[in-house]
Amino acid sequence: MSNVRQISVFVDNKPNQLAGVMKMIKECRINVRALSLADTSDFGIVRMIVNDTDKTVEKLKAASYAVTVTEVVAISIPDSPGQLSRVLDILGAKNVNLEYLYTFLGKSDRSVSFVIRVDDIANASEALTDGGIIQLTENDIAEM
Amino acid sequence: MEKYWNKEIECASREDMKKLQDERLVKQVKHVYDNVKYYRDLMDKKGVKPEDIKGTEDLHKLPFLSKADLRDAYPYGLLAKPLSECVRIHSTSGTTGKRVVAFYTQNDVDMWNDCCARAITAAGGTNEDVVQVAYGYGLFTGGMGLHGGSHKVGSLTLPMSSGNTERQIQFMQDLGATILCCTPSYAAYIGETIYDMGISPDDLKLKAGIFGAEPWTEEMRRSIEKSLGIKAFDIYGLTESSGPGVAFECSEQTGMHINEDNFIPEIIDPETGEVLPEGTVGELVFTSITKEAFPLLRYRTRDLCVLSRKKCSCGRTLIKMAKPMGRSDDMMIIRGVNVFPSQIETVLIEQGYSPNYLIEVDRVNNTDTLDISVEMNPEQFSDKVKDMQKQERDLAVAIKTMLGINPKVHLVSPKSITRSEGKAVRVIDRRKLHD
Repeated sequence: MSNVRQISVFVDNKPNQLAGVMKMIKECRINVRALSLADTSDFGIVRMIVNDTDKTVEKLKAASYAVTVTEVVAISIPDSPGQLSRVLDILGAKNVNLEYLYTFLGKSDRSVSFVIRVDDIANASEALTDGGIIQLTENDIAEM
Repeated sequence: MEKYWNKEIECASREDMKKLQDERLVKQVKHVYDNVKYYRDLMDKKGVKPEDIKGTEDLHKLPFLSKADLRDAYPYGLLAKPLSECVRIHSTSGTTGKRVVAFYTQNDVDMWNDCCARAITAAGGTNEDVVQVAYGYGLFTGGMGLHGGSHKVGSLTLPMSSGNTERQIQFMQDLGATILCCTPSYAAYIGETIYDMGISPDDLKLKAGIFGAEPWTEEMRRSIEKSLGIKAFDIYGLTESSGPGVAFECSEQTGMHINEDNFIPEIIDPETGEVLPEGTVGELVFTSITKEAFPLLRYRTRDLCVLSRKKCSCGRTLIKMAKPMGRSDDMMIIRGVNVFPSQIETVLIEQGYSPNYLIEVDRVNNTDTLDISVEMNPEQFSDKVKDMQKQERDLAVAIKTMLGINPKVHLVSPKSITRSEGKAVRVIDRRKLHD
């Protein structure tokens, strides 16, 4: 299995909330590899992939943040037209329901990496492997 | 084995108690009529003379006193003794208007301490105990009341006052406090802090807590009992009658025994003032029959509750009052429906949320709005927005089922709602600002 752990943090929909989370991450010298912020009128959910998941979770929990860790799929695909569509077709063909996706803060000019959140992760992972899609491991991400 | 501070009074027969109350009431009415012009005028206006009051059955003939009277008579208008005989004052917080100032003679302080000693004894306290008083000291009656009771029992008293929670916990551990006295919201906060500091209730010697001065629910009791590893006892009182100790809970935990040798309770219809039979919900009214300096007759507490003379397993015969279901001035009327914060609190705890919440009421386009901010439960946190929104909706439905009106529920971060070290502010009613 090459699943990657994603950290989610609950933040209030008020000024300085994301700043507070990022400040902790800075103080711990942790590097964020991928980040997305989902928002509602009341609260936001910060989702991120970092280079040291355990340390980040420990620090955030110690600061009383509500934190949850979920397994997600991370893929790397060529940076050319139609590539994401191909990935979605592979998942769709296996009836995998996509909850959300977001991109890595990558810097390669030849490929682009995505975080994909699905409910049936085993099925999704297998379909992607069969479809020849490169999946990233936590080690790959730590070395990015 | 149940322990009593004053068995003769606490377990007196109904006949003996009534006889004592009758004697004291007759004497008290005369004392008030002779010394308090404000009340004498009220009695004269109603055409009642002290001679008309021959016993408790005549109580209903006396005029009521309300908070408004206390404000009118501020500061000395209801004083029944010369200031030279008074030794102390206490005051209400004044959050709902002008302060109320109450005066005490030494006998009044002794009587009050005695009431608190009964409460501490009923909670299992003896001279072997270490009583940590984390109610505020000062004008507020909480601190000095339990402090005096603890002295009387002979317990080792830690006069901590409220605040500085980590120091509270350190003293609790180092000095082996066995009984904690504070507001229930502060007890809940201490419980949370203990958990955060990595301390288990087993590391503490606490066995009981005496909590009062604000409304709290049965669910909150259970959660405090669990977090501190104690049995939690309710205590009732009001500055106008002396302070905490007017009524106290026993091991049965099904309501509070009223110290009716000092305070005669009645339940009235808050609209008509008519006395209601035992077992009916209404406004609680107290007549102080032993207080010398500030003896309020038929004082309307605004607390809604019910009285019961059902036999209690603890052996006390003192009449019991149920936990007040709210104050008639705490009650909000939202879209025509009566809403008490305690109802909302009950739902929150049942649904696994912390009892820290903020109710905001406003009026938008002539319609009342009810917004409730609730600290989300970290155990139920999901990375999916739809899951979190479902939690908000489910909670709104549960509250709607309880209240009959639809609230808007807002989940906020854990610990983001300000904790209180005294009485918690749980309601902001912005409609009043528009009047």
